[in-house]
Amino acid sequence: MSASPNITRRQWVAGAAGTTILAGCGTSLGKLAPVSILRAASYTEDLYALMQRIISEHRLDVRGKRVVLKPNLVEFDQNTVINTHPKMVHAALEAFRAAGAADVRVAEGPGHRRVTLDLADAAGYFSTFPKFESLFTDLNLDEVTKVNLIRPHSKLSSLYLPNTVLGCDLLVSMPKMKTHHWVGATLSMKNLFGLVPGGVYGWPKNVLHWAGIGESIADLHTLFPRTFSIVDGIVGMEGNGPIQGTPRPMGIVVAGADPVAVDATCCRIMHIDPRRVSYLTLAAGEAQLREDLIPQAGEKIAAVSAAFALLPSLESIRLVNPAPGS
Amino acid sequence: MASYSEELLDRQNPDGGWGYSRVGSSWTEPTCYALLALAAGEVYSSEGTRSAVAVRTGLQWLTAGQRSDGGWAPRSGVDESTWVTALALLLPADLSAGDRQRASQWLLSQSGRESGFIYRLRLRLLGVRLDANQQFDGWPWYPGTAAWVAPTALTFLALQKLNSSTRDAQIEKRLAEGKAFLLARRCRDGGWNHGSTQALGYDSDSYPETTGVALLALHGSNAPEIGNALEVAERHLRASHSLEATSWLTLGLLAHGRSPAEVSVMPHQGTVAISLAAMAGAARQGRNLFVS
Repeated sequence: MSASPNITRRQWVAGAAGTTILAGCGTSLGKLAPVSILRAASYTEDLYALMQRIISEHRLDVRGKRVVLKPNLVEFDQNTVINTHPKMVHAALEAFRAAGAADVRVAEGPGHRRVTLDLADAAGYFSTFPKFESLFTDLNLDEVTKVNLIRPHSKLSSLYLPNTVLGCDLLVSMPKMKTHHWVGATLSMKNLFGLVPGGVYGWPKNVLHWAGIGESIADLHTLFPRTFSIVDGIVGMEGNGPIQGTPRPMGIVVAGADPVAVDATCCRIMHIDPRRVSYLTLAAGEAQLREDLIPQAGEKIAAVSAAFALLPSLESIRLVNPAPGS
Repeated sequence: MASYSEELLDRQNPDGGWGYSRVGSSWTEPTCYALLALAAGEVYSSEGTRSAVAVRTGLQWLTAGQRSDGGWAPRSGVDESTWVTALALLLPADLSAGDRQRASQWLLSQSGRESGFIYRLRLRLLGVRLDANQQFDGWPWYPGTAAWVAPTALTFLALQKLNSSTRDAQIEKRLAEGKAFLLARRCRDGGWNHGSTQALGYDSDSYPETTGVALLALHGSNAPEIGNALEVAERHLRASHSLEATSWLTLGLLAHGRSPAEVSVMPHQGTVAISLAAMAGAARQGRNLFVS
């Protein structure tokens, strides 16, 4: 598939229209919103300029809006790269502020550790953000509202969800590009597990596991379909992700307005077949995951992709014929 | 201690409960911990004082929240009783005997889904061997899910406290299972994490806060595993900066006769952490409400 360095007006309009067709009819195929693949060799690069470029290219009008940045904070292990790098999140915060957002918060509800600030401290958020605690909402302990699921994929009929996220104008999912030992890959859609409050469901949010992990991811996507995604692929994780894998330097950031399109693209970059990732097929249907239905901007997939190590049990989701040149 | 109590009094909501943060609405967990902390500070007996009024209105908020099934929901508006029921039972004799009985019955009706008949039958039919650490009955955070370390430890403490006054064979059976559950869920380093010692065959390491609460629940145990766990807890204490984690570690270590060091912590803390710090301070003076 060809890629242009920037998102053209035609791509953007076609993507937006395609998304509308898909949402409206359920079965009609159309182009998804475009996905940007941008190079960033390390976290010392000008990530602020990169975030500004993403906001500009995707025409994100956040003037006067409340923006919530949702990184992936799970556990801390100095020997690997579990969490979204704080410099990525800080750069996004500054860029959204500069774009006119009325309020930008960082919010997360880790699934294992209930002492969230301790985890954020270990992960470098306090040393990166001045007064981090004043910018941060622990979604595990936030006020909640019960939300009913209409035609759920999982066994859930409703979920209590944090008001900080329900009340924001733009949710930005900022995951780490990682393999996942149960669902294949954890990206912008799986990252939404962190919205489910531990204060109601506990640590871990085991109710999602029993309801079906892939199905619960698809349900959360249904509840937050307009989540903007910015994936930290500067250093990803391969092997036994999302916690015990090994660092995989990739030097990229992947972004877009459609989480399905972003995650499918990330899968291809990781040499994972998105059509074999259950939550993607549940959320969009296998046919909609075709590469030609996802407009690409910036780098070509083939130019940046690399085979992520997968656990033997996940070899069945390996992309059989990855893009030439990768 | 006094400053923690003052901070808790300042944080009480007009409805009598406490929120997780200074401005949040009332939840069961922070309300129970705040009441326990005030009890640990012995303010219950100070009739007519601001503290006594706070305790009375807090207890009114709490007792009004008991559900018809005997349990408590995490907060009003959540229509499910959960693990927080154990915290209400930990309060020193503030509930009526009937309310305590209903709460304990609800807790006894709960167990990890992995120890249920249907789950185990399914494993057997699939030819899957039950993991060694799944053989014992613990408690879940939320009904219908698996058992984990923290809710098992806290329910263990609540039922143990209840059983010290009214011996009950059913409770003693669950206490024995709960203790075995905790000992079986130790991580490779000797401490505890949330309760998953391995993920697909890969070993996991422990966390400070869960190591502290598990050690607290295992107070009085002479199990050979405890010695190593205490060393892990002391190591965690030296490395932790959060009031919540260091308070649990302090409570756990004190319960085993250790003298944990005072450590510096981050200044910005929630109601649960402040309450636990007050309780850890009281425990240093010989008054550990979790175990006495």
